[in-house]
Amino acid sequence: MSPIYKGKLTESELIALLKQKDKAALGYLYDNYSAALFGVILRILQDKKVAEEVLQDAFMKVWDKIDTYDDKKGRLFTWMLNLCRNLAIDKLRSKEIKKVGKTDDIEENVYHVEKDYLVQQSVDGIGVKELLVRLRDEERLILELIYFKGYTQSEVSESQGIPLGTVKTRLRMALINLRKELGVE
Amino acid sequence: MNIQEYISSGILEAYVLGELPREEALEVEKMALEHHEVREEITRIEITLESVAFETAVKPAADLKDKIMQQVDSSQQQAGANVVSMPISNKPNYWKYAMAASVSIALVTTILAFNFWSKWKSTEVELNNLIAQNERIARDYNTVNNKLEDIEHEFSILSDASYRKVVLQGTENAPQALANIYWNPASEEVYLNIQNLKELTQEQQYQLWAIIDGTPVDAGVFDSGQSGLLKMKNIARASAFAVTVEPRGGSENPTLDTMQVMGAVGES
Repeated sequence: MSPIYKGKLTESELIALLKQKDKAALGYLYDNYSAALFGVILRILQDKKVAEEVLQDAFMKVWDKIDTYDDKKGRLFTWMLNLCRNLAIDKLRSKEIKKVGKTDDIEENVYHVEKDYLVQQSVDGIGVKELLVRLRDEERLILELIYFKGYTQSEVSESQGIPLGTVKTRLRMALINLRKELGVE
Repeated sequence: MNIQEYISSGILEAYVLGELPREEALEVEKMALEHHEVREEITRIEITLESVAFETAVKPAADLKDKIMQQVDSSQQQAGANVVSMPISNKPNYWKYAMAASVSIALVTTILAFNFWSKWKSTEVELNNLIAQNERIARDYNTVNNKLEDIEHEFSILSDASYRKVVLQGTENAPQALANIYWNPASEEVYLNIQNLKELTQEQQYQLWAIIDGTPVDAGVFDSGQSGLLKMKNIARASAFAVTVEPRGGSENPTLDTMQVMGAVGES
């Protein structure tokens, strides 16, 4: 049912093999997780070439740092997801600093995203639209900005003029509604 | 704390997205250990985000996997190469050069340190001299400035038309003595300028009297040898002023036979 259990390995077997520096396990990890992680990175960076660089860095980091992953604190995918988001966000910021003048800063981005048709447009090509269509507008906006664009909750709170507590509960409602959509128990 | 409220606050979503500061994240981990509802909710959030990622997955370029596997290979080789190369290095020679380098660096550093230390010492002495000089100049400046203010104040009184000048001439006791009163009947202010009054002993002071309706009224005491304008007690009306010698602190009634100067207030 859940896409994580595709293939022959369980998550704990996979982790054990990765910790033993088993290269085949890394190949397995790539085959099963790279597309999901690449989607996350690509939506933040909006540039295929740069996103592929970041994905490569991310897999090297997973390979080097797998010993620091603690399965008591959360799932392997969550750990990799945050690693990828952080690398992508860092990349985005360093790129934005470089192209002074043409910079899309957060306010501008958010301003664009606020307009509904642009929200749709920006995620259309990457298969997110159908998933989000049943969410309420304000929930979709928060999920867009935080999960698909990589802003932090406090950045969203500041730029949108929404209290931080409201951002948190809206994100929560969005995820609860998505659960039904995705059939997560 | 109410667990349901805690869960619905949205803190667990922030935790899963890695957005909480370290202490708050540790707090969430503690809650997850203590309450299975929290643990289960975290897992649900994780699976939701995971499912979203898989639903919206995008395939990267086909050759990326090979690139990553190659990079892993080369980083492993590098790590291996490093392990091998360490024992080969020529230890005795290396230590000899290292010792020589350390000794010369220590020597040069010591000389430089002494050099800087002595420069620093002499600079410190110079600095202290300059600070002392600076303080002296500031004090002088203050003195001069105060003096200037006094003079400006005196000049404003002398040039003020509402002040009446009363000349007090020396009496038989002191024919050479002289004093001037500058008196403003409207504001009742009285200033005294003494000239040529003799020196008194430590036990004595001069006392100014205003003669009001034939009765002497105390207008303040002052020491001999003062210059400039002395501010005396306010006097509303007077027909004459006089100065006597009294015990230090002044008397209630003037000792008339010690009178030094006296002058009548002229018609205005």
